[in-house]
Amino acid sequence: MVAFSLNGRNVELKVDPATPLLWVLRDHLGLTGTRFGCGMGLCGACTVHLDGAAIRSCSTPVSQAAGRSVTTIEGLGGDHPLQRAWVEHNVPQCGYCQSGQIMSAAALLASNPQPDEENIRQAMSGNLCRCGTYHKVQRAILSVAAVEHWQPAAEDAS
Amino acid sequence: MSLTRRQFIRNVSVTGGALTLGFQLTACSGKPLQLGSEADFQPDAFLRIEPDGAIILQIPKAEMGQGVVTGMVTLVAEELEVHPERIGYAMAPVHSAFADPEMRLQITGGSASIRVYHEILRQVGASARETLIAAAMQQSGLDRASLAARDGRVRSTDGAVDLAYADLVAIARALPVVSDVALKPADQWQWIGHYDQRVDAQAKTDGSARFGMDASPEGCLTAVLLRCPWFDGAVESFNAEHALEHPGVVAVFATEHGVAVVAEGYWPARQAAGKVEVTFTPPGGGLRDSAAITEALTAALDGDDFASVRDDPASAKAGQGTLVSGRYAVPFLAHAAMEPLNATCRLTEGGCEVWVGSQAPDLAQDAASRVLDVPREAVVIHNQFLGGGFGRRAAADNVAEVVAIARELKRPVKLVWSREDDMRHDWYRPPMAGAIEARVHADGSISHWQHRIAGPSINQQVLPVLMGAMLPQWIPGGPRQLVGDFVGKKDFASVEGSKELPYQFDGVSVSYHNVPVPVPLGYWRSVGHSHNAFVVESFVDELAHAAGVDPLEFRRKHLAADSRERRVLDAVAAAASWGNAPAGHYQGIAVHDSFQSCVAEVVEISLVDGKPKLEHVYCAIDCGQVINPDIVRDQMIGGIVFALSAALHGEITLKNGAVEQSNYHDYQLLRQTDTPPMTVVLIDSAAPPTGVGEPGTPPAAPALANALFAATGERQRRLPLRMG
Ligand code: FES
Ligand code: FES
Repeated sequence: MVAFSLNGRNVELKVDPATPLLWVLRDHLGLTGTRFGCGMGLCGACTVHLDGAAIRSCSTPVSQAAGRSVTTIEGLGGDHPLQRAWVEHNVPQCGYCQSGQIMSAAALLASNPQPDEENIRQAMSGNLCRCGTYHKVQRAILSVAAVEHWQPAAEDAS
Repeated sequence: MSLTRRQFIRNVSVTGGALTLGFQLTACSGKPLQLGSEADFQPDAFLRIEPDGAIILQIPKAEMGQGVVTGMVTLVAEELEVHPERIGYAMAPVHSAFADPEMRLQITGGSASIRVYHEILRQVGASARETLIAAAMQQSGLDRASLAARDGRVRSTDGAVDLAYADLVAIARALPVVSDVALKPADQWQWIGHYDQRVDAQAKTDGSARFGMDASPEGCLTAVLLRCPWFDGAVESFNAEHALEHPGVVAVFATEHGVAVVAEGYWPARQAAGKVEVTFTPPGGGLRDSAAITEALTAALDGDDFASVRDDPASAKAGQGTLVSGRYAVPFLAHAAMEPLNATCRLTEGGCEVWVGSQAPDLAQDAASRVLDVPREAVVIHNQFLGGGFGRRAAADNVAEVVAIARELKRPVKLVWSREDDMRHDWYRPPMAGAIEARVHADGSISHWQHRIAGPSINQQVLPVLMGAMLPQWIPGGPRQLVGDFVGKKDFASVEGSKELPYQFDGVSVSYHNVPVPVPLGYWRSVGHSHNAFVVESFVDELAHAAGVDPLEFRRKHLAADSRERRVLDAVAAAASWGNAPAGHYQGIAVHDSFQSCVAEVVEISLVDGKPKLEHVYCAIDCGQVINPDIVRDQMIGGIVFALSAALHGEITLKNGAVEQSNYHDYQLLRQTDTPPMTVVLIDSAAPPTGVGEPGTPPAAPALANALFAATGERQRRLPLRMG
């Protein structure tokens, strides 16, 4: 039995504890938004959050998630500022790498709300995109970082 | 080539009675195509409007990131007078109505989708609009001139009549389809050339987009397949004793494709596969090592057994001037799309259903029907989003494999390839070697351009497969292979982009020697252009330097004054401030025509420890009328990243007939940190739209090699570039 919190809900399942979290999500829990690309931690398509940090779920045994909190692309809700920026900037081409890109970006912004271009390039370098959407990824992240930057100055708070 | 209205009618109409587009639902000759319900308004095979107003467009092409869904929806939306985002879409089933009118197959390739369908889909939208207006005329008693369609409604000029399309469905479906319609002139376009969103972006952002990998019919098990590492081997024997003891494993058995390990999920299947002992039949003869293949290509170039594909009259200046020559070589390449290959199959009464992301669902259907020995119609293909295609997903080997597994298992099953399977069992871009020479004359003219190309023919292998899906099923494979062998001698895919040299040189000749290899070959983004542009545009640079002329000026001088090539060169040169690179930066330029579009690129680099660092890439494209400017720019950038990944890293090598690379660590792609800023210029054009998915790829490698020459004075004639 492995128990953990998944997108805010508790899950408990009987599974070989060595099974990578990726396959538990996809095959046992039916959450197919997390993608399989390489199985070796090389491409980032399988990126999810474990206690808020970006991890490669293809190379993380589910036992490591026990008692901890996992967030997948489905857990972002579809309306996360990054997801809105992704749609607005038409980031996806084939779309296959994008769940991983967004999860890496969300972890980056959580630890550094105002990354510059170089921070973004470094933080996102583990996420391959065969379609070559890197510029759009960068631009979408920057646009969200910029919004975060403006918010404190907005009048709404008063 | 644009279809005239008359040709259009000939190509897509069914004879007799009311003209309909592509398919007549009421009087069809083949198997009836019933999509949606009886209550829908279905003017043709492509479009239906449901009673609640939902509009659904059947997409006859594969969406693999190139934006074809958005492009097609936009074309229909323009004439139908609705916002593109109001049009829902579905991947079309396999049906003759959806076969590409040029290729006669339901295949996505040749960057042809929008070029072939732009007028057809505008007609689809316009016919539906006019039929809905005819319904409004009937409803209101007003004449055509007093009614207009806008925003999904038909209104009268005085505002008294205001009907949603939904309100007109019941009347429209009983009316003859209005087919003789004029298309909107360009100055009235709201969406074509202006709409710059993607209609599939949301699903691809929230995780809900369904790829082949996500198919999961009820009770579906997962299979992995142990394939012979060399391509001509088969299973001789296997021992599954330990594998069968692995928890979650359901079955282990051999098929014609390998040993299948079936389990409840990918992980137990993959773990158990590691415990199967397999012996494969020994490899056959032929060229089995990269070194031997390279040698064979070199030997072919040294010989004189070439088939001529272009032979202009010899120049009057034969034997004069300075002879310049070079030998070029490029390797096998893998597609390495992000989604590893996969396919899912469920047997049905007398046939099966297949879920797959395919560039050629009719080839998938044909492959499945051959495995089960059933008529093609007994196979239903559910096409999904493709996690990258680039030509790889035109092949249906994954489909044949999963159907064979389902045939034995008799339960729904999904076959998942590992990344290693995907890398080692691709249909590879073939290696090519080229010997090229020309004479540079004191008056600046060029003569005696001789380009000889040696390498394996893709179409010798692939055409027999394509024909298999086009011809009646009983026709045996032998004659098809004879056609493949014949075409392979002068394979158009091996020489495209060399034969059509745009420069006004004297005495051009291009010839080819096919060197067959026991390795599966396939179409790789831009196909023959991917290697021929490298050779031709690098060598043009060599000639410019030999002539002592600036590479841009040299190209301009030998191109017609009003040519598209000159126009894109000038545009890219202006964008890149050609000749004024920042200190320490070096530029290289290239121009290439492919898929009826014309693209020029400037790659700007610096040198770090003697190795190139990409600083900026500039690109200009003339692809005729742009449908979605943002998607065109993205396709250029994506095509350039694809090409530069190959130019800097891409190489598949063989040892004992097996591929040595396995995953993204030994077959590297550009990453976020390697990708430089890029600038894309779209040339304004009202000409009919041409290719976009592939034409960005060919000029990037030669532009990079030319920049390296500018930086180092050394000519790189091999890919991937190996510095120092
Ligand atoms: S699938 Fe996990 S990093 Fe590639
Ligand atoms: S969008 Fe296709 S791999 Fe990134």
